[in-house]
Amino acid sequence: MKQHKKGLTLWLAAILLLLAGALLTGSPGRTETVQEAMRDAVLHDVNRISLLGWKAVNPGLISAFLVTAILLLASALIRIFVIPRFRYMPGKLQLLLEEAVGLFDRMAKGSSPHRFGFVGTYIFGAGCFIFVGTLFELLGLQAITTHGHAVTLPAPLSDINAAIALGTLSYLVIVSGGIAGNGVKGIGKSLKEFSLPISMSFRLFGALLSGLLVTELVYYYVSLSFVLPVVVGVLFTLLHALIQTYVLTMLTALYYGEVSEPDHKPKKAKARRS
Amino acid sequence: MPLNIDWQQILLHWLNLAILTGGLYFLLYKPVKQFMAKREEYYRSLEQQAQEKLAQAQQLQDQAQAKLDGADEEIRQARAKAQQSVQQSAEEQLARVQVQAQQILTHARAEAEHDREEILRSSQRELRRLATEATKRLALQQDPFEQFLDLAEEGAGHDEKR
Repeated sequence: MKQHKKGLTLWLAAILLLLAGALLTGSPGRTETVQEAMRDAVLHDVNRISLLGWKAVNPGLISAFLVTAILLLASALIRIFVIPRFRYMPGKLQLLLEEAVGLFDRMAKGSSPHRFGFVGTYIFGAGCFIFVGTLFELLGLQAITTHGHAVTLPAPLSDINAAIALGTLSYLVIVSGGIAGNGVKGIGKSLKEFSLPISMSFRLFGALLSGLLVTELVYYYVSLSFVLPVVVGVLFTLLHALIQTYVLTMLTALYYGEVSEPDHKPKKAKARRS
Repeated sequence: MPLNIDWQQILLHWLNLAILTGGLYFLLYKPVKQFMAKREEYYRSLEQQAQEKLAQAQQLQDQAQAKLDGADEEIRQARAKAQQSVQQSAEEQLARVQVQAQQILTHARAEAEHDREEILRSSQRELRRLATEATKRLALQQDPFEQFLDLAEEGAGHDEKR
């Protein structure tokens, strides 16, 4: 009991010390107003980061590359150290990996039973990117802008370019499914859904941007930086990481299945004639 | 461009997504799916083996049942055959006994007939002998009147003695 009390006292003292330190040291001074911060969060026209000295790009692109690097590194480690040790009676990590792969595989098979190999692969990649990319903002990794300021790297999809890239790529995948399944007719079928790339892109951008703006707003004021980020930062981020992953992958798989489904109408007509 | 849309960055994002999708496919998606398929195949083969063994067991059971049914039929047939054989044997024995009895009866009758004839012949011979003897006596003996008298005398003497 004495040890418990001692531990509790130490923990409380550490919290109070950290709080006092945070309040007393203060911030280094604001480099931008809240309006500027919000505007930059949407447009990314001020705080840009140099891409290996070649070009100044949005922080979202750097985040996207980092997310890809993290995912590929983790996958390589899993491939080398975990997958060869897979057993028929799975452990916790194996179960998690199998469930992640199985989830997208089942989604592809369920939505597009005629042709699911490629779309399964794509939605797995896209799903991982959206989920990990959205959670990436929780890491709070810092990068130096071209102006020499430090900025927190945002979620890749809060950058309009990343959202457009993912939306249009998903649409291209859907079109490819239409061509593979129905040839020229498939292109027609896919083009009927011409609003898809816009809706997919801006849905992602809007969802992720709203999260980013709320987070920016919360962290802009020191007084809001206690307790509240636990709810706003972690729970909301986790929740819409799941939701956005599910929405985009499900929509892509559904439309892919719809346009790649072989057309049976001519056969029926022939059968009726005969 | 409005909203700071940059086509070059969009292409870079595409490149990034293509690398990520390909990398994840080869490093994670494909091996995990292959393992899952392998496990599924393993359990399917186990199930198939179990089904085959079950079918074999069922077949063996059917065969055993058929044999059991066959054995019952064989036993029934054997029993019927045995009964038939016993009945036939009993009938044969009865017939044989009847024949023997008939023979014994015939023999007894013949013997009886023979005895009767023998007795008849011996009695006839006796009668003939008696008749002959009586005739001889009659022919050789004294006068019947004298005989009568002798007898009568014998009879009177007998009464006196008493």
